[in-house]
Amino acid sequence: MSARKEKLIQPSALPTLIGDWLSDGDLLALGGLFKQGRPCALVREVIRSGRTGLKLVSSPGSGFDVDLMIAAGCVAETFLPAVTLEDRMCPSFRNAVETGTVHAHCVDALSVVGGLLASANGVPFQPVVAWKGSDVPKHNPLVANITCPFTGDALFATKAIKPKLTLLHAQEADCYGNIRHLTTMTYADQMMARASERVIVSVDRIVSTEDIVARSRETSIPCTYVDAVVEIPYGAHPTGSFPLYSIDEEHIADYASAAEAKRRGKEGGPEALQNYLQRHVFGTLDNGTYLVSVGGEPHLRQLEKEAEDL
Amino acid sequence: MTDKNCHAAEIQAVVLARELQDSEMGAAGASAAIPMAAIMLARRTHAPNIQIAGEMFVNPRPKRLWNSMLDDRALGSCEAAETFLELFGHSHRGLDFFFHNGMQIDQYGNINLHFIGGSIDKPKMRGPGAANISYAGTSKRFYICTHAHSTRTFVPKVDFITSPGYLDGPESFGKAGLKGGPRLCVTPLAVMEFEPETLRMRLKSVHPWSSVEDVVTNTGFELLIPENVPVTELPTAEELRILREDVDTLGILRNA
Repeated sequence: MSARKEKLIQPSALPTLIGDWLSDGDLLALGGLFKQGRPCALVREVIRSGRTGLKLVSSPGSGFDVDLMIAAGCVAETFLPAVTLEDRMCPSFRNAVETGTVHAHCVDALSVVGGLLASANGVPFQPVVAWKGSDVPKHNPLVANITCPFTGDALFATKAIKPKLTLLHAQEADCYGNIRHLTTMTYADQMMARASERVIVSVDRIVSTEDIVARSRETSIPCTYVDAVVEIPYGAHPTGSFPLYSIDEEHIADYASAAEAKRRGKEGGPEALQNYLQRHVFGTLDNGTYLVSVGGEPHLRQLEKEAEDL
Repeated sequence: MTDKNCHAAEIQAVVLARELQDSEMGAAGASAAIPMAAIMLARRTHAPNIQIAGEMFVNPRPKRLWNSMLDDRALGSCEAAETFLELFGHSHRGLDFFFHNGMQIDQYGNINLHFIGGSIDKPKMRGPGAANISYAGTSKRFYICTHAHSTRTFVPKVDFITSPGYLDGPESFGKAGLKGGPRLCVTPLAVMEFEPETLRMRLKSVHPWSSVEDVVTNTGFELLIPENVPVTELPTAEELRILREDVDTLGILRNA
């Protein structure tokens, strides 16, 4: 009888795993929502892997990490309902769609959530009734008109979405890949884990399996849906990982200013964005170097304190 | 846009707060500081039993206003947290009230957040898109709240309908099976309503720092103008005190 296989991997194993599980042109799903719970360290790993032509899907709200992947030239198509930094637009997304280098499919929350749900449930589509009057379903490549087999009523079908790989970030997990979100919300993370072929989760810290068993109702994603788990403290940075650390608004704003300068064709714009990528993505092969590059311990303490004080 | 009494975003929040009834259920949407301020103010004045639900966080208790109102900073303290699984549960039922902002808004209150110029596949200017577009058509009513009032925002016909208002008027609205529709459009210059027969936008009141002429000049379609256009009722001293001392302690609305 052999010992139970651990799913915990070292960060140094990530390039090989991503190489094996994600090819150019594949559909990649990203967890979290807007500026919280995004798998940013894993996203930087994908950028460093040099993948191109990726298709992206996420929960209904995305921003920073998607914009960064587009800025780095990894993305060909998006299936993302809302793409925004909330107080401003996503510069690289906007620029890429307007210049035609990225195709932003016209999707909304129900089509993406419905598609993930269908895939998680192993059915080809999810019926939808709540679309009326909007132009979105007319242009949405995931949507078709169907007739209810019971009543004959007209309704919509939204196609199952099966990501090749899903990247998630949560706060805690054990070595077998039992995931525990400590956040108030779990976004669409659970659904994406069930819908995807492969799932890699980064967590801020590893806990014992005894600890998981003692609070089993709090396991948000059971190990059966997880292929690999990796401990990356502050792995969501610059997005928030509540209740551990808050959103680094300043960092996101600095990135956005550089990306916006490039979009507007300002002098020094392309260099500013290239500098960002060099400094925080290509030049930081390990997490420790990355954390120093964004301000180190004192800065991270500040983000922890902001989360504590909420 | 301000006078000695209050700022534009504050008068917008107060106008919207007065619209909300006790025990109704609704949500503010994303990047919605003004709508969330309206809900928080209404809860602290005439409508203490407003239920907030439909956007994952059930009955959150924000300690203060934030610029983005859909994360743990603002809403983490709540009675329950749902996941996107429950999106379908809420979408077909609709809410009592909801709020929308738009890059383009037309005379029937249709909202565009997708693109301006070109086409959806080759846009001249690509907007952020939208997450939940179903509440516009399934909720009892919604409010349009904008940060700008210009001919760029208020156009004769939106390039794309992200969230439907009254489409092309009563006939198309009925045919599409929509219910509810936009109740008011509240901007930094004025409050607009929808004329019941034609469902076209009609000026309701102008803010103290604005005028009918101002509003007409900055609106890109023919706005219906009644004979008498009152000045928007100012916040009371008590409303303003609660807004500043209890809701928007950091002055996000005052500095908007």
